[in-house]
Amino acid sequence: MQTLTIALAQIAPRLGLLDENLARHHELIEDARGRGAGLVVFPELGLTGYLLQDLAAEVAMRLDDPRLGELAAAADGLSAVVSFVEESADHRLFIAAALLEEGRIRHVHRKLFLPTYGLFDERRFFAAGDLLRATPSRLGPGLGIAICEDFWHLTVPQLLALDGAQILINVSSSPGRDLAATNEVGLGTATSWRTLMRTYAQLTTSVVVFCNRVGVDESISFWGGSEVIAPSGQPLFVAPMFQEGLFTVEVPLGDLRRERLTLPLLRDERPELQVRELSRIVAERAGLAPDSTADDMAEAGLDVAPGDAVREPIGFRPGARR
Amino acid sequence: MTTSKTPPAVGPGGEHVADGQAELARTEGETPGVEAEMFELPPELAIDTDIARQVIGQFIRGQLRQAGFERAVVGLSGGIDSALVAYLVAEAIGADRLLCVLMPYRSSSPASREDAQEVVRRLGAASELVDISPMVDGYFGGQPDASPLRRGNFMARQRMAVLYDHSVTWGGLVVGTGNKTESLIGYTTLFGDSASAFNPIGDLYKSQVRQVAAAIGVPATIIRKAPSADLWPGQTDEGEAGFTYPVLDRLLFWRVDRRRTDDEMAGLGFDPEMVRKVDRLIATSEFKRQVPPIAKLGPRTTGIDYLYPRRRPGSARG
Repeated sequence: MQTLTIALAQIAPRLGLLDENLARHHELIEDARGRGAGLVVFPELGLTGYLLQDLAAEVAMRLDDPRLGELAAAADGLSAVVSFVEESADHRLFIAAALLEEGRIRHVHRKLFLPTYGLFDERRFFAAGDLLRATPSRLGPGLGIAICEDFWHLTVPQLLALDGAQILINVSSSPGRDLAATNEVGLGTATSWRTLMRTYAQLTTSVVVFCNRVGVDESISFWGGSEVIAPSGQPLFVAPMFQEGLFTVEVPLGDLRRERLTLPLLRDERPELQVRELSRIVAERAGLAPDSTADDMAEAGLDVAPGDAVREPIGFRPGARR
Repeated sequence: MTTSKTPPAVGPGGEHVADGQAELARTEGETPGVEAEMFELPPELAIDTDIARQVIGQFIRGQLRQAGFERAVVGLSGGIDSALVAYLVAEAIGADRLLCVLMPYRSSSPASREDAQEVVRRLGAASELVDISPMVDGYFGGQPDASPLRRGNFMARQRMAVLYDHSVTWGGLVVGTGNKTESLIGYTTLFGDSASAFNPIGDLYKSQVRQVAAAIGVPATIIRKAPSADLWPGQTDEGEAGFTYPVLDRLLFWRVDRRRTDDEMAGLGFDPEMVRKVDRLIATSEFKRQVPPIAKLGPRTTGIDYLYPRRRPGSARG
């Protein structure tokens, strides 16, 4: 197999300024092409900025928006992942990432997990996507696209790999926080992300591409540090933190075959085992089946008993307990 | 009374940093002319100062750009907080775009003014001296019995007014200089020293302010001297309140950032009585950290269900 040149567009989008960000995307797609890239990846909401709040509806685009068509046309001859607010025909707003290939939108991923805790408030402004699919690509190996928080859920990289992805792409707007001297890189967020990326690459024996933005929206600073991890879990490239730039990385795709033959973890996955056990857990959580693993006095749907104070479960009981 | 600069009544507790929990910061040659062991730095509060400076620099540039400004105004008291902010602004945008405003009252310490002037000299920034005595005395002239609390708050608000006037004449944004410690315990004057366009050090505890100040080269005399509101000669924060900043910072870090319970705080060696007092300071000053609530009446109310980024498109000046 050949070498794939991946361009990481570690940009600082301007909040709410769609036209400026579109222009920047056009520039960098040309720049990436000039540098021989086969794939160029932009960060989460790179076309709109992150902390949109009520601006989300004002910068939203339908998938048939001519501005996306123009971007797809500009990216013809390479593969590009771009991210924006998508408004569906039924007027839901999604955080979306689209794969542009051969002058059109080949695949759309809608963010599945919307963090609404701590400094995040995404569920207030956005709808969560319901589909997770790997996508074939002109590049050869299948691609798995996910957005930021999606990768804080174990199932996402695994499902993408089982669905045929060999290159996992996460586009992010990760706010830097938890400054400390004790972390690997002085920033708690960066340390956590790096641990996740290396683990996913190793466990799915896939190339992992992480593109995180830089710049500031209001109080929060995005830390960059985009990277590409080999299927062995070893980083091939780590971009500097907080610095804007288009970084290109040479990825030897032959490593995918070598790693998957040497370490056949994916071959040995047991999806049918997961389906069986997950079906059981879902039924038990819904109170539709007796919970074989719950404490004796636990409420239906809960695994843990409330403690000594309650003698009998309150409310609905699905049936006899062990 | 809706504001107070009342010194926080924190009990003694210096013993809790003993037993090797705290270490003395060393400059390791980063800051020429500054000797080692300038201040006590609790290890859990140690931060990577290079990253802090990168984040803060990016924040300052972003705030100014998004608001359509290229310049900044900082009120320099001679203390470490405002000195550090002046250094950070100069590092982020260049000292030529910074105006330092010195606003002493007639009873302010001459040493404070000299320290502020030393910052201006070292940075090579523009500066202005505004004596606030006539403004303050003009108001309190007929009220010789006005309490130090009223006078202190009034001075802080006069300084705010002077800074915002210079925001117009200099064409720059007013940069806040309050740190996380004083904000959490409410050792600030509402609409006085707490007023600003943005604040680059509001998430740094005093101990961390010292750490970044040492790294960026704030004069050692400023880092070493006892923090003071400088409302009367010899006043110091720690002397008045009976706490030391390393102890208070550690307490706030474990309580607020790390969400430790009463029992866990006791397990960490904190005096339960001191924890209780600090909890109360935090709760009673909550109003100072938030914008005033608006009575909800209409369909869309600012801050409740009309939510836009402060720096939205079209918000920039010009």
